[in-house]
Amino acid sequence: MKAYKKEVQFTIWMTAAFILVGNVGLIFSIFPVDGMLFGFPVMYIVPILMGWFGVFFLTIVAGKIGNRIDDEIDSENDALGVSDEAKDV
Amino acid sequence: MEAQNWQLSNPILGLAVVGATFVLFYVVGFLSNRKSASAKDLYIGGGNVGAFTNGLAMAATYMSLATFLGITALILQLQVPFIMLWIQLILAIPLITIIYGTSLRRMGAFSPTHFIRDRYGVTASIIAALFMILVSIMYALGQMIGIAITFETLLGIPYLTGLFVFGIIIVGYITIGGMAGATNNAAIQMVIIALMFILPLGAIMKAVGATGWYFPPLFYSDMVPAMLESLPTFFDYQFSPKWYFSIIPALTIGALGLPHLAMRVYTASNLKSARSAMVWFAFILGLVFSATYAMGFVGVYATATQGLVISDGDADKLTIILNLVYNPEWVTALVIAGAISAGLSTLSGNLLAIGALISQDIIATLKPNIPERLSLRIGFIAIFAGGLVSILLAIEPPAFLVVSILWAFGLAGVTNAPLIIVGVWWKEANKFGAIAASVVGGAIYIIVSPFVFPSIVLTGHGVTDGMGLSGAMLAVPISFILLIVVSYITNRMPGLQNKLTKQSDIELIERIHGWKDIKSYRYNSTIGAGVTVVVSAAIAIWALMPWGM
Repeated sequence: MKAYKKEVQFTIWMTAAFILVGNVGLIFSIFPVDGMLFGFPVMYIVPILMGWFGVFFLTIVAGKIGNRIDDEIDSENDALGVSDEAKDV
Repeated sequence: MEAQNWQLSNPILGLAVVGATFVLFYVVGFLSNRKSASAKDLYIGGGNVGAFTNGLAMAATYMSLATFLGITALILQLQVPFIMLWIQLILAIPLITIIYGTSLRRMGAFSPTHFIRDRYGVTASIIAALFMILVSIMYALGQMIGIAITFETLLGIPYLTGLFVFGIIIVGYITIGGMAGATNNAAIQMVIIALMFILPLGAIMKAVGATGWYFPPLFYSDMVPAMLESLPTFFDYQFSPKWYFSIIPALTIGALGLPHLAMRVYTASNLKSARSAMVWFAFILGLVFSATYAMGFVGVYATATQGLVISDGDADKLTIILNLVYNPEWVTALVIAGAISAGLSTLSGNLLAIGALISQDIIATLKPNIPERLSLRIGFIAIFAGGLVSILLAIEPPAFLVVSILWAFGLAGVTNAPLIIVGVWWKEANKFGAIAASVVGGAIYIIVSPFVFPSIVLTGHGVTDGMGLSGAMLAVPISFILLIVVSYITNRMPGLQNKLTKQSDIELIERIHGWKDIKSYRYNSTIGAGVTVVVSAAIAIWALMPWGM
């Protein structure tokens, strides 16, 4: 039960985080911001930086958590005493 | 500077560079293809490609001629809103991987349609496959237009000659290469694309006087004051939040249904490798995407401050034109080779997807006992035929090559993505829901597109309707609603029980998530399904309200 809940929650929250980080333009279209950052308008450069480094950071987090959840599913399977034959191909 | 006929003055130089890259691709394709003995080898490269190579290949498949030529053209036309639209396309592989890619990889699926067949049965999978063929052809169409434009600029030959001669050569290469060749080639192509785009961009920036030329993707802020002075509206968002929201159903969800992209996840050697590939993908794609925004910025800057004149018909050539104006010819020749690499890698992904769809998902589904040799041969014929169709469609191209590509995203989002997402995460989804979602959703999307009935559109804003933003904002939620509601009702109709395969569906879902036992509480949330229906209904109603454009 624990690994299942983690898997579902991870997928929902991670998807939401990715969509948010990749669509900062949408947020700025609702809440416009004036000002400059690194010589560019904030509303121009922040979506670009988030769409690169923000997404890159999230892929590292998602990869690590995804691998850990796989391991937990495997250990819950092992606790059932089921053989290993159907393990990940 | 007058508008003019843009082409290389020394086509032999250009041809030599393009020829050399082709020889490289043919050699890699040939060496890899010797190992391509089975259908599995042809389509997913034997399922044993390493993380870094696969990450590069994912990026190259995704980064089509749209990136090389198309984005800069639409930045010239739409300016910053188009950059905002493009940024989220980087989410494709990460979202595919976490939402369903690893599950389908665990299942050993060839393609998303393979999953749909096992999950919803033959009829639903054939309907999905037919839509996916249309998606792949529309996507390939954009590449063909780009390839023809590139050769037009390279050799000064007419568009149609470039389209037929070089279109057929490229389709021939892909037919011979297969996916193993394609994966190794795509990785090489990614390196070529990155170098041939970013280094010449640095030289262009230096020529127009930017001090940050040594890192073009981000260091061009010293050009901002001049840009604001001569074109104060460049950074304006122009459109309402609704327009920015519509990008999510059309392109973010749309990318989840693209057959050629998801197939890259299945080429990973294992799940951990697939997740590492996603990290490489994000890093490299972010780098090149940022460079394309810079190229678009420099293009607008050059037209606004340096007197460069680019006619509407030449917008798709902006990247090449900037190189012709500011760089030596041999650099432009390298850029053209990079553009062709970009088109080639995506086109091979599209055409291989068509091959897999026709031979595996349609013919092998209807006639499971045909020999593998014949199946492989049908695959090769389908790949070639798909290429020919995209060449024929490119005879009268739309105004911007990127429009047909983004429209294809929306169609994939309507007809394919809901079936996979809901199918992986909700046991109740069944074939009646899937068929209703795919057919009705797909029909609505096609009807409200400006290509079939130009008078039936949602916004009247040509590019917004043409890219499928408005259509997908209506049709994607409808597709989710139909899938969930029709499945929920038909599961409770006693007369239909013998037509459903509930037990095998449940076993399949548990297995692809990695479970060895079956628990009724898993992937069975009525509340989750209900929330999805309510949110989808609200979005669909919003899409029907006036857009004010």
